Amino acid sequence: MTVKRVEIKISGKTIQAQEGETVIHALWAAGMAESIKTGCAGGVCGACTVTLRYSDGRTGGTDLACMKPVEAGMEVFPCPVEEDNPVAPVADPEISTLQSAFPTLNRCTKCGSCTTACPMSIPVMDSVLRMQKGEFSEVAEDFTTCIHCGLCRFVCEDKVKPHNMGLWVRRSLGMNQIPPSEKNDKEEDAEKEWQYLLDEDREIRLERARQFRQLGRVEP
Amino acid sequence: MMDWAKASLGKVEASRTFRLDQPAPLLDPTQATALLKQFHPDYLGHERKVEVGPNVGDQKFPLELAELLEGDSPLESDYIPQIDIETDVLILGGGGAGATAALALEGSGLTVHLATKLRLGDSNTVMAEGGIQSALGVEDSPRRHFADALVGGHGDNDPDLLRILCEQGPESIRWLSQLGCLFDQNEDGKFRLRGGGGTSVPRVLACRDYTGLEIMRVLKDAVRLTATQLLEEHVAMELVDDGKGRVTGAILFDRNTGSKVCVSARAVILATGGSGQIRLQGFPTSNHVGATGDGLVLAYRQGCRLIHLDSYQYHPSGACYPEALAGQLVTEAIRSIGAQVVNAEGVHFIDEMAYRDVLAGAIIKEIAEGRGIKTPHGKTGVWLDTPMVDLKKGAGTLANQFPGLIHRFERYNIDPASQPILIYPTLHYQNGGIRVDSECRTDVAGLWACGEVTGGLHGKNRLMGNSLLDITVFGRKSAESVISNIPERGAVTLTHLKRFREERSKIEGGKISPKFFPDASKMKLQTPLVEKEREEKKTPDNFEPHNPFNI
Repeated sequence: MTVKRVEIKISGKTIQAQEGETVIHALWAAGMAESIKTGCAGGVCGACTVTLRYSDGRTGGTDLACMKPVEAGMEVFPCPVEEDNPVAPVADPEISTLQSAFPTLNRCTKCGSCTTACPMSIPVMDSVLRMQKGEFSEVAEDFTTCIHCGLCRFVCEDKVKPHNMGLWVRRSLGMNQIPPSEKNDKEEDAEKEWQYLLDEDREIRLERARQFRQLGRVEP
Repeated sequence: MMDWAKASLGKVEASRTFRLDQPAPLLDPTQATALLKQFHPDYLGHERKVEVGPNVGDQKFPLELAELLEGDSPLESDYIPQIDIETDVLILGGGGAGATAALALEGSGLTVHLATKLRLGDSNTVMAEGGIQSALGVEDSPRRHFADALVGGHGDNDPDLLRILCEQGPESIRWLSQLGCLFDQNEDGKFRLRGGGGTSVPRVLACRDYTGLEIMRVLKDAVRLTATQLLEEHVAMELVDDGKGRVTGAILFDRNTGSKVCVSARAVILATGGSGQIRLQGFPTSNHVGATGDGLVLAYRQGCRLIHLDSYQYHPSGACYPEALAGQLVTEAIRSIGAQVVNAEGVHFIDEMAYRDVLAGAIIKEIAEGRGIKTPHGKTGVWLDTPMVDLKKGAGTLANQFPGLIHRFERYNIDPASQPILIYPTLHYQNGGIRVDSECRTDVAGLWACGEVTGGLHGKNRLMGNSLLDITVFGRKSAESVISNIPERGAVTLTHLKRFREERSKIEGGKISPKFFPDASKMKLQTPLVEKEREEKKTPDNFEPHNPFNI
């Protein structure tokens, strides 16, 4: 199979790319890896945020360069988002505590830019409205897949910080979880089992482990 | 989509109902060993002994790694360290292990700097999908966890380290929960536990297929709320010592200014992670951009022994198509809840919950014997029959529990809920690493290590969910040990490096190492020696990762 070559522009500079590869791969091949920040190159660290324009009149937008396949005529601009100072989560979060942690909570004008900007397809604006109503479990669910690229905050005219608030809600709810209880492990029995498993001889140790994992205890 | 595979896809669909309740072949230990020896990349002889350093005459290393271990430092020979930053503890590495260590040092009264080549959190941790093990089940105990991991590691695990890992499992989940990590729960509000390859009872906690992301974003947020000084985009070039055998800091390279930063520290914690990006034998990798084994090279020059580095984990289910996703992880958890591994003929040729190394070997064998599926880009894989999940567990299960998988394939008009995806083993985890004791101390005073950069804990095959637990347990353990044993400040010299350079002078040529960035990225450290090497090209790369786009 022959692979089609396409031209794309990075910050105004034209480079050759090959259909099917991502913007990051194209930059690497062109020797321009440093022009866009890269972290995981797997779509989860949020380092390689970019803005895009198309020559055929389609609406451009934001995306992750490591996930975005190249297209002929595409123009790419780096769009690194600075980290914002985090706010400590609290146990038992309420609307009032969220509001004081993030004073811009109610400034949302429902323009929807944040939702459009999100590369993870999170319904960001709807979730901000849920935050205003204190529907925190739903908010936590909304932000399950948030990679903290910061684009939703970056595009917000009113300085609302959706992803920071999303994490704050998640961490606050997380702190409320009932931690797993200590098991009723009889210490004496446990120590006996360890003695049995930790034989000095490698082969005996391995054989005993094979046996032990069948029932989870020493065979009588 | 995937019209080129139509014929084979038809066979997979045709056999699905039949396969639903049919058990797949299980290999007994003798068959498994034979399979590994013939087909697993670790056993194919792409390895050699090294000629310099603490491991001379000892175990073999993969060829690509051996060359890096014998390499020369990027520091100019006349460089004299002048201290720029004084701190108590210097953590090298900004993934899960480093971040955990930083959190555990908070409140100790020690000043902490954390340096990372990329940004805080850009790491293998954030990419981990499937989960974290902890013996919380009714039928479970830390001993059973131990037994499973020891058998999975072929008995080569350091038993003392492994006992600590398993005993600290439940406490680690408590710690993460209290930091605000949300793990998936059952309807009764208890954590949902799933099986993984080699677990004898369900033991894996998860946050959908974003478990590492959940843990890393919480750790990152928490670290940013501590007094830890972050040095992001600072590459660790070399460790420094006091001239009397103790590590006392590091030389960093600030990627933004292009200048060196010399840090004097009373203790150094190495948490630099793995090395998938050195692309052994040209394999694809699931690792992040910075995973080039830098910490191994740095520690080796200081005199640290390395162990089990003849063993790497090739994760059986790396994506094989579309090409842009090649090498990226498709979590084992999908197999644990029902997706089957199927060949071109629609035959379910092995139990998909076999140990990772065995399953990887079985897939490579299937392809070698002509029962794989070739992509238009020339790669070959086998099917992971993802639609089986909804068939077994109810419609919508895949989309609900694996949103990451769905999201990644969506761009390419592939819906894993309705069609299988193509997989091939991907270089995933560095099983071996720096030898440490049960307090994370290396062979050299002043230097601690935790996480993927260390060796011994997982033996020669790590079980799913034990690395996220590893970074949590040993990230904290290293910090505790540093707090109890912190040395006084020492001089900053390059005595160890000088000795290493004298020893390696017998080697002809050789490369500059560590690698710092993947070859494919063409990124280099902008230092005079690296520049010189690039210009002279006296030692051309002896391998270049396969570029499927150059056809």
